[in-house]
Amino acid sequence: MKINHIIIFSLIFAMVPANYVFAHKVIIFAWVEDGYIHTESSFGSKRKAKNCTITVVDEKGVVIHKGQTDQEGNYSFKIPGKIDSDLVLKLDAGTGHQAKWRLSKADLIKVPTAKNIKVAMKKKEDLEKGPSVFQIIGGIVIIFLLAFGAKFLKRGKTHK
Amino acid sequence: MQYYGLNLRSGRENNMHISEGVLSGPVLASGAVLAMVGTAIGLKKIDYDRIVHVAILASAFFVASLIHVNIGPSSVHLILNGIVGLLLGFAAIPAILTALLLQSVFFQYGGLTTLGVNVVVMGAPAVLVHYLFLPLLGKSPGLNFTAGFLTGLFSILFSSLLLGLALWFTDENFFETSLVIITAHIPVMIIEGIITGFCITFLLKVYPEIIPVREK
Repeated sequence: MKINHIIIFSLIFAMVPANYVFAHKVIIFAWVEDGYIHTESSFGSKRKAKNCTITVVDEKGVVIHKGQTDQEGNYSFKIPGKIDSDLVLKLDAGTGHQAKWRLSKADLIKVPTAKNIKVAMKKKEDLEKGPSVFQIIGGIVIIFLLAFGAKFLKRGKTHK
Repeated sequence: MQYYGLNLRSGRENNMHISEGVLSGPVLASGAVLAMVGTAIGLKKIDYDRIVHVAILASAFFVASLIHVNIGPSSVHLILNGIVGLLLGFAAIPAILTALLLQSVFFQYGGLTTLGVNVVVMGAPAVLVHYLFLPLLGKSPGLNFTAGFLTGLFSILFSSLLLGLALWFTDENFFETSLVIITAHIPVMIIEGIITGFCITFLLKVYPEIIPVREK
């Protein structure tokens, strides 16, 4: 295959999606404040996860609470009484797709330190970021390395 | 404001990547077995002299899923499994497997346990459109575009049906689920049809050797 053919072929795929926006992840983020569990759900950067179902289950999988996010992707509810278990908040973001957040038993009652809050916020911001250019290029490089590695192995077998 | 916990997980909106924790064990196991069989056949059928084609198309598939199109209140993303399958046939399965694996590791799309099912959902239609529409290529420019358009359209339609089937085998209503998935992907079917149509028409003009039928 000539190099100019490779370039032409690659350019076809590079130019096609030029005016589309980049992907976004579905994320549910939860915290406790004043006896309430608050949640924020979004598709990564700025798009809110509207009208998505949130199901709260305990460690045994028993459904404890159910609700729906509002137009801002938020949902809050009072901590159910007599809970002696971690809680898992499941966000149903459409067919076959979901996100989860786990609140431990301790999380429901303890007051976090400023350091804990800072670390959690940093994690949230990192996960809301889209894939980096480095990851995309790295993935493509790995694909080509695997392809040429397979060809090299095949050629080795043929020559034996 | 008090933030707790650090175990964020991500899912997707209106896409073909099934998240972890959604499907039952038997469905996951069946998907893994089918994906392994498909990959074995694909590796056997790859023309290693044209391995660059496989790498380029796998890269296109890897990147395409990152590109979302906002349509009204929801969002969908490109898949491009149709053109990958049309040009590679069974070799599309290992190409799609590699791309999905990298998407799972790098971007947390889908998941490692759902990799097999996702390969089947996107790979099987790719192989199917190869056998359905490849014979139409090379006869006339209009027919080339039509074949490309139908490739893009039907690959998404078949993938939507397989996705619905996978969810149905777990616990959801197949008809309703499939209807929701297909409806959500109608814009993608049209967009992918147009993109695939133009790509195939262009490739037949500038580099006809890429089309397998032209090698005969």
